[in-house]
Amino acid sequence: MKTVMIDPITRLEGHGKIAIFLNDKGNVENAYMQIPELRGFERFSQGRRAEDMPQITSRICGVCPVAHHFAATKALDDAFNVEPTSAAKKLRELMYAGYYIYDHTLHFYYLGGPDFVVGPDAPAAKRNVLGVIEKAGVEIGKEVIKHRAYGQKITAILGGKATHPVCGLPGGVSKGLNKDEVKNIETMAKSCRDFAQFTLKLFDDIVLANKTYVDVILSDPYQLATYNMGLVDKNNKVNFYDGKIRITDQKGKEFAKFDVKDYYKNIAEHVEEWSYIKFPYLKKIGWKGYVDGKDSGLYRVGPLGRLNAAEGMASPLANKEYKRLFETLGGRPVNSTLAFHWARLVELLYATERTLELIKDPEITSNKIRNPVGEPGEGYGVVEACRGTLIHHYKLDKNGLIDKANLIVATVNNAGAINMSIRNAAMGLIKGGKVNDGLLNMVEMAFRAYDPCFGCATHTLPGQMPMEVKIYDNNKKLYKTLRQNM
Amino acid sequence: MKTIVLGVGNPILRDDGVGIHVANQLKQHVNDPDITIDEATTGGMNLLDLIVGYDKAILIDAINIRDAEVGEVKRVLLSDLSSVHSDNPHDVSLLEALQLAEKLGENNIPSEIVIIGIVLKKIPYVFGEKLSPKIAAAVPKAVDMTLTEIGKNLEESNWSKDKLT
Repeated sequence: MKTVMIDPITRLEGHGKIAIFLNDKGNVENAYMQIPELRGFERFSQGRRAEDMPQITSRICGVCPVAHHFAATKALDDAFNVEPTSAAKKLRELMYAGYYIYDHTLHFYYLGGPDFVVGPDAPAAKRNVLGVIEKAGVEIGKEVIKHRAYGQKITAILGGKATHPVCGLPGGVSKGLNKDEVKNIETMAKSCRDFAQFTLKLFDDIVLANKTYVDVILSDPYQLATYNMGLVDKNNKVNFYDGKIRITDQKGKEFAKFDVKDYYKNIAEHVEEWSYIKFPYLKKIGWKGYVDGKDSGLYRVGPLGRLNAAEGMASPLANKEYKRLFETLGGRPVNSTLAFHWARLVELLYATERTLELIKDPEITSNKIRNPVGEPGEGYGVVEACRGTLIHHYKLDKNGLIDKANLIVATVNNAGAINMSIRNAAMGLIKGGKVNDGLLNMVEMAFRAYDPCFGCATHTLPGQMPMEVKIYDNNKKLYKTLRQNM
Repeated sequence: MKTIVLGVGNPILRDDGVGIHVANQLKQHVNDPDITIDEATTGGMNLLDLIVGYDKAILIDAINIRDAEVGEVKRVLLSDLSSVHSDNPHDVSLLEALQLAEKLGENNIPSEIVIIGIVLKKIPYVFGEKLSPKIAAAVPKAVDMTLTEIGKNLEESNWSKDKLT
């Protein structure tokens, strides 16, 4: 058989590329994960028809097409000075809940979950979805596949295409729902709700019932006391599709709450010469480097960030789970990075309940799905992508063409925190220049929890995510290189 | 023989989208109800969803092969790949997705999965729709090789590549 080697170095181009810097005692001083940013978006967008942006931006990333689609659509609502109809908002939110169902299911069972379900000490080759199925059983595997597909079908019924939706228009959506589709979605959503409850039970049985795992969750290397950020509704409950951006402090108290148009009044960006991405921080606190605690301007987004930044879930079953999570882990906020996995499942349950609530709403079959647009201007759109707050900002010229465009993606919001989590995980495992064998595992678990999205080129020829850790001594000389899946 | 031909890649990320450029050209040459030509800006599980139910899948994508020059076009079987990674950290690999499907008793996996790979050494990180000259020059070759690949199936039902318009 012919063997084709794919060059790992060029292919890596920053993905999973981690640098760890040691001090003169050979202990960890700092760590950075290089997150390559796709560049030139503004130039690429200039002069394009604004209404094409929801389609174009849904192709930026193979992971979050639906999130980009709606951040763009909402930015266009704002830019064309139009409020979508009530039915259109519900249809969009319904579709958005479908995206959460499949994305969160995928992450828990395929990507993040294996670390726990198979075990944090298991070899990398076993920590994948096949390992999960070995442990949980083939029947459960079939349920996973089925419900992930249901999430996608719900999205596809509303969006036209599962992966690259075409429904969002300024002022509304292009397609409503008929009675058959409603029935179909309701059946799938009920099944997804049961499956989400089952998954939380599985998390209980396999993770929470196992003291070793709970100890890992609560262990020092995985604690990070940052601020937290997420969208909330008028009752300060988590919302994925709309609301105000709320930031809470290390005690869980509200630090700021604002509309997306005031993002830059609250958030500034720190520039590092070694990174294309800028590191956002809270303006009022200032940039204090990669430190946590009250004086650090860093915050976290994503499932745990959202749950910490809110005061509950807007649906009954998920709200119960929300309370249980905080009661179990010592109250809000929870600072354990690995609790992201649990928070993700609470959100999965909420997404299914919200789908059911919306699909039963009589207005969901309304044909008033679009309002006429006004004059073009400037607009902001914000949604919670599965992995955190996502913002699109456009300026349109008088002909409705894009003049300026800027995106703030979820992983960028988390960038500072990801670096610290990697550093903290590495600290326990590199002492006096001696590198412990478990380093790659622990480092991978640290950034996996965030479900980071690197603004990806989507490729078919794929394997496990490659990871390369370079360790540098106190003279910044390369000391050691560790690799996985390369 | 039901065949799906997928151009894979990101159409707004320059050379990364070469597979989609090839697929679009193929559409002008092939008109056969048994052959579906489409594009996919996705990988892993989503890609699996797209190919299940076909007898054969042909994936056209940018590929990085160590001993090959930029712009070469290679026919590769999925099973030939010894070291492959996804550029997408949020999904499993197609290989993993296939193993999973097999394990769960999925009966409709294509019996043959062929990759037409256009050799690329660097993934562009700057948005754009244009291909670089070397990659653009590889498109006709990739179209031709894909047609040959399709033709193999058509011969079985008394077709030949010449009959393709």
